[in-house]
Amino acid sequence: MCSCPHLKDFKKADGLKVFRKVHAHFVCCGSREARKRKASLCYCHECGTYSGRLHSCLFCVYFGCYTGNRHIHHHAQSTGHSLALDLTHGVVYCFVCRDHVYDLDLEKIGVEQAVRAWKTLGNGHIKYIPWEPSKAELQLLKENKKRIKLEKNSFIGLRGLTNLGNTCFMNCIVQALTHTPLLRDYFLSDQHVCAGDKEQCIVCEVASVFQEFYSGQKAPHTPFKLLHLVWTHARHLAGYEQQDAHEFFIAALDVLHQYCKDDAPNKDVLVPNNPNRCNCIIDRIFTGGLQSDVICQACKCVSTTIDPFWDISLDLGNIDHSNGRSSSGASAASTPDPTPPEENGQPVPEISSHHEESFVPKSLVECLRRFTRPERLGSEAKIKCSQCQTYQESTKQLTMKKLPIVVCFHFKRFEHSKKSKKISTYIPFPQQLDMAPFMASRLNGNGDHSQSSLCCDSNYTLFAVVNHSGTLEVGHYTSFIRQQQEWFKCDDAWITKATLDDVLQSEGYLLFYHKKVLEYE
Amino acid sequence: MVERIKDSQLSASINQKLVESGERERLKELLRSRLIECGWRDKLRSHCKEVIKQKGLENVTVDDLVAEITPTGRALVPDEVKRDMLLRIRTFLAANT
Repeated sequence: MCSCPHLKDFKKADGLKVFRKVHAHFVCCGSREARKRKASLCYCHECGTYSGRLHSCLFCVYFGCYTGNRHIHHHAQSTGHSLALDLTHGVVYCFVCRDHVYDLDLEKIGVEQAVRAWKTLGNGHIKYIPWEPSKAELQLLKENKKRIKLEKNSFIGLRGLTNLGNTCFMNCIVQALTHTPLLRDYFLSDQHVCAGDKEQCIVCEVASVFQEFYSGQKAPHTPFKLLHLVWTHARHLAGYEQQDAHEFFIAALDVLHQYCKDDAPNKDVLVPNNPNRCNCIIDRIFTGGLQSDVICQACKCVSTTIDPFWDISLDLGNIDHSNGRSSSGASAASTPDPTPPEENGQPVPEISSHHEESFVPKSLVECLRRFTRPERLGSEAKIKCSQCQTYQESTKQLTMKKLPIVVCFHFKRFEHSKKSKKISTYIPFPQQLDMAPFMASRLNGNGDHSQSSLCCDSNYTLFAVVNHSGTLEVGHYTSFIRQQQEWFKCDDAWITKATLDDVLQSEGYLLFYHKKVLEYE
Repeated sequence: MVERIKDSQLSASINQKLVESGERERLKELLRSRLIECGWRDKLRSHCKEVIKQKGLENVTVDDLVAEITPTGRALVPDEVKRDMLLRIRTFLAANT
């Protein structure tokens, strides 16, 4: 950071005011009028070009091109006005020193006005400002010289977890969570502010698990405290029995959500745009919105409800043909904090599909297609239509209204209907997944799909897979996790290298996908 | 010659529209994030570091650096990003003319 004597003199002569004015009108426009003026007035006063990195003289507000014909240079030479403001980037150039000048005061004004201008454009999210260490932070960096850097061949961030007696259901989920990029960023940047009792706070414990993972220690970590907290917060998981990893995942998100609700940023300012209406880190990452359209077959009236979801449970078809009863098609996902349906307040009835041929899906995409197709609710499940006020047969369709950053798919491998058993069918799943075909905007043909495919990216990449081996009664959970583009298999205390093929060839119980491109919120 | 004048008039009026509506800022911000995500910025940054090391910190100005890295920088922008930007500008113009 260096200022120059010429800029210092300029600042003494009330230059900050001039800078602020020119900046607000021609660099970061704070109003519609200013934008209009910028659009019509920003050209080189000599040659009329709009490009060529226009600069404005800070003494007489003459605009000139910097590259090309270099009119701003000529201007500076002939008038002796030595400072000009770059209208594209908002930085000041000194013609005497022949270099750009950096000045803390000017920069502060610049950032301030950029943020304000961004707001007037009506953008929902906050403008991204790159991090600059403050004086205190620089001091901290100087005092703590040790840097941990993730590189291609470093194993930092990988750590086995001791099995504490049938706790592999927890270990595999902890591995998946600790390798969720955004969750890792949240915990490693210390964003949780504990409001209550630290000893009882499960978020604090998860934070310390993250610290353990990235401490560089190689011996397996023993998550006894985490287990204890899980037992006290989710009583149904207590005891040394075998548990379902999926159930644990949902319970874990629920408890974490309860505890970190309070450190959600800008609680009052930002309207959360996830369907769970919460700004906590769990909801920002995992909550999506599932749209359910029930169409009355008599009057074609559509009643739409949107429910939050943390995962999507997918049917693997009916193996049990005995009494002609087929498995239900799309079954709603587990929902956090059930919110009342948006319209007419009627509970959505249990779905029972009718006259269905046996179905065995051949891929994840096929499961999803089935999940989102329209489904007849049949004559036993008549619903009172809000439009025609009679009980009518109807069809129901589930679609994705809002995609979460991390989407978790759950293959329903454990059947608990008549005979309980495990379905071990191999369902191929891809490394890259496009969710666009299952979006509400696409499937309902609202015509706005060209736009929605532009503004919300629907491409996902696989980053963790939880597998179950064995039977319903006795089994074992392991997980595959991705770190630095490499795959690893986590089997309790053992971590081994794996290939992408190992992952894609595995049976798959829970699949975790991460959005490829993040929109700033 | 007439063609060229027409072209420059057209690009000027497109520019004007983009600025007036604020779309230019939005696109700029989007481009910035795309370039960060695809690793463009990191690549260019390390290239800058090399140039500075070569010439010595005291002997290099921003202008030198810009002149030196512009060709590399242009070449490094992924086609996907360019295509996406072009499509967005087209969509904007189609909706605003």
